Amino acid sequence: MTIVRKIAPYVIAIIASFAAAGIFIALTGANIFQAYETILFTSFRTPNGFVQTLLKFIPLTLQALAFTIPLTAGKFNMGGEGQMIVGAIAASAVGIVGADLPAFILLPLVILAGVAAGALWGLIPAYLLYKFNINEILTSMLLNFVSFQIIDLVATGPWRDPVAGHPTTVQIGQGGFLPMLIKNPPLNAGLILALLVAAAVYLYTSRTTGGYELVATGANPRAAAVFGINVKRMFVFSIVLAGGIAGLSGVIEVAGVQHRLIVGLQHNFLVLGVIIALIARGNNLAVPFVAFFIAILEIGASAMQRTMNVPIEMVFIVEALVLLFVLLSDVVRRR
Amino acid sequence: MEKEAILELRNIRKVFDKTVALDSVSFSLYPGEIHGLLGGNGAGKTTLMNILYGLYRKDDGEIDFHGKKLNIQGPRDAINHGIGMVHQHFLQIGNYTVLENIVLGTNVAHPGTMKLDAEANKIIELGNRFRLPVDPNAVVDTLPVGTRQKVEILKALYRGVEVLILDEPTTNLTPQEVDDLFESLRVIVNEGLSIVFITHKLREVLHVCDRITVLREGRNITSLTRAEASEEIFVRAMVGDQMNIEDSVYFSHGSMANTAVDESSNPALEMQNVSWKTKEGISRLSGLNFQIKRGELFGVAGVAGNGQRELAECVTGVIIPTDGRILMDGRDVTALPVCELLKGRISYIPEDRLHDGFLPKANVAQNLILGYHRQKPYCEGVFIKWNTVYDKVRDAIGEYKIKTNGPEDPGGNLSGGNIQRVMIARAFSMDSQVLVAHNPTRGLDIPSMDFVYNKMLERKKTGAATLLISEDLDELLLICDRVAVLYRGQIVGILDRKDFDKYAIGRLMSGIQAEETADLRAAS
Repeated sequence: MTIVRKIAPYVIAIIASFAAAGIFIALTGANIFQAYETILFTSFRTPNGFVQTLLKFIPLTLQALAFTIPLTAGKFNMGGEGQMIVGAIAASAVGIVGADLPAFILLPLVILAGVAAGALWGLIPAYLLYKFNINEILTSMLLNFVSFQIIDLVATGPWRDPVAGHPTTVQIGQGGFLPMLIKNPPLNAGLILALLVAAAVYLYTSRTTGGYELVATGANPRAAAVFGINVKRMFVFSIVLAGGIAGLSGVIEVAGVQHRLIVGLQHNFLVLGVIIALIARGNNLAVPFVAFFIAILEIGASAMQRTMNVPIEMVFIVEALVLLFVLLSDVVRRR
Repeated sequence: MEKEAILELRNIRKVFDKTVALDSVSFSLYPGEIHGLLGGNGAGKTTLMNILYGLYRKDDGEIDFHGKKLNIQGPRDAINHGIGMVHQHFLQIGNYTVLENIVLGTNVAHPGTMKLDAEANKIIELGNRFRLPVDPNAVVDTLPVGTRQKVEILKALYRGVEVLILDEPTTNLTPQEVDDLFESLRVIVNEGLSIVFITHKLREVLHVCDRITVLREGRNITSLTRAEASEEIFVRAMVGDQMNIEDSVYFSHGSMANTAVDESSNPALEMQNVSWKTKEGISRLSGLNFQIKRGELFGVAGVAGNGQRELAECVTGVIIPTDGRILMDGRDVTALPVCELLKGRISYIPEDRLHDGFLPKANVAQNLILGYHRQKPYCEGVFIKWNTVYDKVRDAIGEYKIKTNGPEDPGGNLSGGNIQRVMIARAFSMDSQVLVAHNPTRGLDIPSMDFVYNKMLERKKTGAATLLISEDLDELLLICDRVAVLYRGQIVGILDRKDFDKYAIGRLMSGIQAEETADLRAAS
């Protein structure tokens, strides 16, 4: 009963948003039902479609977690993209410099470097918040733009791959590649990392004393402080942890998918991560499921653009409407 | 009484969400009477009067005023009909003068020039007539609470009300100010006005009211004239049949045995010259010196805002004194963090439960372990043992009569009284050397207040000390072994139980003796 009641608003929100988006698809002159079918089933029709969906699922989950963890403590990390890019840069740098190292040394170094760099990128807004009480939304967001410039610099610098037509570095060493779970279509072990991280985050926030302090801080920082929780430290910790997880998503893009640093690897992951986190209402357990659903939509939308000439932006409308309807269902229920 | 009632409320019903706040309540008011509306917290007294004043809409029932049916749309409407209300929290603009506050929202004689001489004279005249002397040109912020209340009453009289509703008017007044207030009320009704006096304090009602209506859990219990009834009848009407009045602390007459104070060992809490200044350098506590013995219930009286909150937070480690030392059992704990103090030394019931003590977005279980979540039996290593927590929480919900659907019920679903029960359950859930309780019974009904008093008195048996900071002087005199009076951040006197005298404490609370003792000290 309770589980049905919890899921019902989501189902209604999805149906309603598809119905509303149908109007726009119809306006472009395309067949609505064929469009829906493409969006929803491309992921399941071919092995390749499914693997592509999983490859989207990995960064989306991690990015959403990078938003929900500080949200649990009542803070907003808008720097997921920047932390991802910095993580990717650090991973490629280690992978290129240490190209000759054996895998059992290089791969851990690559992962560690990326996670540490992401965490460091999160530490900057966290420290400014801790020390000077500067709003973390602003600083974390602005650091994204700094990271865009750094990735341009690195990808056009001495490591630039001269044969590529797009700003790209040379390949990292073979030892830095994430192992493949499936060779063809290629699925890397980043999936396992992402699932482990999601499980660990859920376990941490719901079962441990530290996670409890995070929840208490988010619920009422003043009361948490009166009862002995160092809330400023919780703020810092939550944003740094989020940075590390966002950095890991950058590592997986480099070491698992591209094997090199490519400008623009962040796609739209920040916005999508925030949408996923908000549709999940900040619930860490729900994040992977919502992320998977959004990954299906994303893959379906690119297929729709290819086969039916319906612009991919259409799927943004669907995603935004799902979020809108889910948030609306809260208001309706309160009445 | 053969007089015709000027105001009749019949079968008033009000439902908030699913709770029935008022269930067909009737109430009548005669001209020239002080009518006490008595009941514990949550009885529906204020709700009923808010309906009369137009702040809430009634769901059912009728209001007759001067024999005609009245349909009140809002407070302004109520005032136009001659019904005024003085709220527990005054609605005043601090940096305006008394005069400006009173005329605000009325039509003045010279709106262009704002020459208010005529209005000022009218206020002075009203003040003399009703024994509410106030300087119209004083700025409200500079006035003590008792005077601000006079301003609030004058505000209603200035608007020519016939019916004046006072909601818990004696909160935060010193006993002297209470006497003054009662005298003015008598003068007001002698002029033909009628007063509704909302209170939960039985003694006040018996002292000043002509007729008394008792509400309990949203129902009329009884309506009697003062002469008709004895104290026992009202007590029974207020609490119902479930409570054993003979054993009750609340209704006892101050005969608590002053025993079990351990004089021999180190004091449980010792304050040595403790001072605290704000970041801007404003002194809020200066040179506090006192000791609380093991097994002692130590009270702190004072008008709210004289440093009570800062005192509570210094002792609990939330703020660190800028000067002086705090010792517990002979050990210096001045700079110890809160999480260390909560390990068996301190437990805390904060005054501002919503901001300082409660997690509205977390569930009841998460609220009950706040601060103790790193202690056994709630945790094992880094993990919280939720099964143990839930078991304990279910016990607490039963023992403290918290109305909730269970440990996983979101805190936001609880009512104010139940939030207070959570605060109390949490503070008593772990042993502590010193309990710091700041207005712990605010918002509780009488049986729950009694329960809290018993819990605090029980602590004496185990040699645990209690620091009770309260704005309810009766409460302090009822259960404390000693009472200190805080005035402008200083302790201006500490009285032993045998020397307890309401008026002496009242004088200290208003700072009257502070200068004298200072003179004495200087002389000696």
